[in-house]
Amino acid sequence: MTLLTELTRAPSAVGRTEQAPSRRRRRRKGRRVANVVAVVFAVVWVFPVYWMLNTALKPRSEVMTTTPLFVPLHLTWSNFVSAVTQTNFLLDLRNSAIVVVGAMVASIVLGVFAAAALTRFRFRGRRAILVSILGVQMLPGTALLIPTFLVFNHLNLLGSYLGLILAYVAAVLPFSIWVMRGFFVSIPVEIEEAAMIDGASSWRILRSVLFPLVMPGVVSTSVFAFIAAWNDYLTAYTFMKDQTMYTLPVWLASFSTPQTGTDFGGQMAASVVFSLPVVVFFLLIQRKLVSGMSAGAVKG
Amino acid sequence: MTRISSDARRKPAGALAVGPRRFGRPKPQRRTSIVAPVSLLTPALLVIVALIVVPILFLVLISFTDYGRRSLFTGTFHVVGLAQYAGVFADPDFWAALGRTVLFTAAMVGGSVVIGMGVAQLLSVLGPVLRYVVTVVLILAWAMPNVASSLVWNWLFQPGYGVANWLLTSTHLFGDMTNTNWGQDPVLAFVAIWMLVVWQAVPFIALTLYAAQTQVPVEYFEAARLDGAGEWLIYWRLTVHFLKPTLLLMAILSVIWDFNVFNQIWLVSQGGPNNATSTLGVWTYKTAFVGFHLGEGAAIAVVTTLLLLAMTAFYIRNLVRSGEEL
Amino acid sequence: MNTTRTVAAGVTGLVAALAVSACSSSGAAVAGDSAGSASGKGQTLTIWEMNGDLTPATMKAINDQFEKKTGAKVDVQLQDWEGITTKLTTALASSNPPDVVDVGNTQVPSYAAQGGLMDLTDHKADLQQGRTWLDGLVQPATVDGQLYGVPSFAATRAVIYNKKMWAAAGITQAPSTYQELTADLDKVKAKYTASDFSAFYIPGKYWYDGLQWVWDAGGDIASPDGKNWKAAFASDKAQQGLNDFQSFQNTYSSTASRTLDTEKPDQDQIFADGKTSAVVGNAWEIGVIQKDNPKITNADLGTFAFPGKSGSAQPVLLAGSDWSVPVKSQHQDLALEWLKIAASPEVQDTYVFGKEGWIPNSNEGVKAAAGGKLTDIQKGYFTAAQHSKSTPAAANWSTIEGDNSLTEFFSSIASGTQTPETAAQSFDAHIDSVLNG
Repeated sequence: MTLLTELTRAPSAVGRTEQAPSRRRRRRKGRRVANVVAVVFAVVWVFPVYWMLNTALKPRSEVMTTTPLFVPLHLTWSNFVSAVTQTNFLLDLRNSAIVVVGAMVASIVLGVFAAAALTRFRFRGRRAILVSILGVQMLPGTALLIPTFLVFNHLNLLGSYLGLILAYVAAVLPFSIWVMRGFFVSIPVEIEEAAMIDGASSWRILRSVLFPLVMPGVVSTSVFAFIAAWNDYLTAYTFMKDQTMYTLPVWLASFSTPQTGTDFGGQMAASVVFSLPVVVFFLLIQRKLVSGMSAGAVKG
Repeated sequence: MTRISSDARRKPAGALAVGPRRFGRPKPQRRTSIVAPVSLLTPALLVIVALIVVPILFLVLISFTDYGRRSLFTGTFHVVGLAQYAGVFADPDFWAALGRTVLFTAAMVGGSVVIGMGVAQLLSVLGPVLRYVVTVVLILAWAMPNVASSLVWNWLFQPGYGVANWLLTSTHLFGDMTNTNWGQDPVLAFVAIWMLVVWQAVPFIALTLYAAQTQVPVEYFEAARLDGAGEWLIYWRLTVHFLKPTLLLMAILSVIWDFNVFNQIWLVSQGGPNNATSTLGVWTYKTAFVGFHLGEGAAIAVVTTLLLLAMTAFYIRNLVRSGEEL
Repeated sequence: MNTTRTVAAGVTGLVAALAVSACSSSGAAVAGDSAGSASGKGQTLTIWEMNGDLTPATMKAINDQFEKKTGAKVDVQLQDWEGITTKLTTALASSNPPDVVDVGNTQVPSYAAQGGLMDLTDHKADLQQGRTWLDGLVQPATVDGQLYGVPSFAATRAVIYNKKMWAAAGITQAPSTYQELTADLDKVKAKYTASDFSAFYIPGKYWYDGLQWVWDAGGDIASPDGKNWKAAFASDKAQQGLNDFQSFQNTYSSTASRTLDTEKPDQDQIFADGKTSAVVGNAWEIGVIQKDNPKITNADLGTFAFPGKSGSAQPVLLAGSDWSVPVKSQHQDLALEWLKIAASPEVQDTYVFGKEGWIPNSNEGVKAAAGGKLTDIQKGYFTAAQHSKSTPAAANWSTIEGDNSLTEFFSSIASGTQTPETAAQSFDAHIDSVLNG
């Protein structure tokens, strides 16, 4: 009851100056506690990343010490240099880039089209399709490797960039459709109708009107496609026969074979290099991504 | 014309708009504009059918057979029918894996969501500088590909030289942990995996919850404070109440993702020791890719999916029932 | 709706096509004459080689000979071990697999017995070129009496020990009997007393070593029983070997090592750090040790075959590779030509052993090598190679290697969580069900 009466009052009337001094003191103390908690949390949460960097910058002799060194005594970039130059790094990077960009573009385009179809056009079985899209996401990740392999073998898609791109698209598409649908659904039909009355073709509507409005969904899809394509080892290794077409996860795996011994410095340097593009990407689009997911969430 | 203006008055535009079912019978003049989009949609349909539907159908089909290496090389296989599924359900290892999966998932989802809620609340009371720092730290953890983070984890928990063992030994609370091989102890292996998954899962939950929290109108908080409500009460009765839909979504997504988590478990403990960390996903992999009993692996995969669907059925039913754009 | 029906029809069609195409493959009949020089002008032979096996120099030597003989080109693709079973299985299932594949010797049966590899029995005599292949390489490649792989090279395990540390403890000569070994190790133990020091580091999960004890006592993993296999760890001889393994491991290796494997932590790192003076390892581990600690030179290291309680060296598991030809390969004649060159005495003696130091694929090759000049480091391996055994040539053996039951069997015995008797009972049951299932 009291809340309601408060709400009818203009917001400006409820000012900070009306609070008792004790409450203000409590708030400030609370703020200090929060700051301490934040610092502790940040230290704990960033520790693995810090340790990865720390190890990567150490020479081999400083990595395996009985008492761990928390700062490199002789900071060295040699791990990074050898990781990048003494392997197929550039080649695999190129391959990963091709596959990732292809997967992102294809998932977005196909996702937008499919989500538009599901939300804008009435046809039987729409509900079943949506439930099954959710169901597909629940399959264990490796379950479809062999069936997809056989399909691709039949379609002669193995050993090609297109094949690998399509494999990732297949993995990301269900999620992409589901997310985009949430955004399509929130766009009032009136916007489309208005555009149609203005004489725009459906294709134009899709491109200029709808697409910008589902941008958060597009961002989400691009992120998941990026991760799926960048991070996958088994599919890339199995589908690509030619070693000149391997992607970066295969490169990363080569740092942890028994023959390489315990070169953790090299492994960590490779991990840093491998993670860097993804981290940069996330930092750039993070705000859009989160707002997109939360907006989509409230609509359910 | 009139329809448009009255609708516009009723509903606020913007992200939170939730409209009633608006798809009536397509008017005659609309039919011409449908044809073009349908043709645009065919490529999407083709890709979906070829790359998703067909492999799934194939998976379901071979789940009724003894498809294995021989079948891959020579094409021969025998139909086993429902006996395959009966075999799966009769296998005590399956039930053990299922139990483990449920427990793991509950622990991982519980951990991620609770910590996520705490971090979201933390973000909301911090000043801009610290909030930025915490956000960056969260993103670093979130963005790292799990293939790389699993490698880092193995190094952190390496017996003999891993820094985690050293740190724990230095606390003098657990005795000498220097040579503890986390991957080889059933409980410790799970703890290490739990930490890895939660470490990377919390950021998404925390940031999404925080974004949702910022949408809550400030007036509610100020009013409640004026009424003398303590901070805890405010949090539980007010904040959480507003976060409920987002929380539910986060929980469901976490359940789906954590149920099938694979890379982290495989790279840290390979499902060992003695299957102690073999969840259904790892179990499926071992059956299908170590033993190459592909038919049996397919059956387990199908069962896993149906189970997960059943467990999230409540949420899906809500989704379908909410009268919404389905 | 019409679209739904067309879609459904298309889907069914695709699935049906899949099933049919999977069935339509049949072993390409190789009626061609065994080693008549096939003309391969304009064709390319694709070879999958495992990273770390033969060096590019050796491959080039083989390829040059091959190209001269047939006019065909060779494309060598290096493969990594991680995920290789999946990759090879799917490759053998695809419609254009590679033409020659490098398969670890214990893995050959799992591909051969399921019909993925070409039957080479008819060409055996031709490929052997007068030599007798090492048992440990050819046994696993023979399924039901048919040959499916051509031995490429072998590797064994021997004791790698730190000469310097042993000299400091007063030992100047490598032991040649079990009693000498234990006496030497006791001296080392007395000299180096750090709490985390192991005179002889054997991680409890090191099944390759554990097997040597079982074999030395006269036991075995499993023996053929008609069409089936019967696991034999519960036999008296095997039990004796397991008990010997446990007491040796417990006496000379650290307590922590009882539940560890060779990689976490890496036993070569432990050796390089001076935390142990001896390990059982492959020849390439010497390189790893030196990379881990550049101060350890070849002069500081020595090898010897592990002397068994039986009086002769412990039989070792022969590791190594075989070359096989996928049954669906489209250049089977050319592949056979290539195999002949790779297995030829000339390549084996000059390159495989001569330049790379691997153990050549035949008894004659080993004798010739052992009779010649062997470095201190090579000696131990070649002695060990003369007593070698292999794992059961069963289609499902790779499952046992892959599901970690082997490592847990040995580590439970080493750590004492199970007696050899109880451990053997459940492990034998597991082996029986997997190999025969």
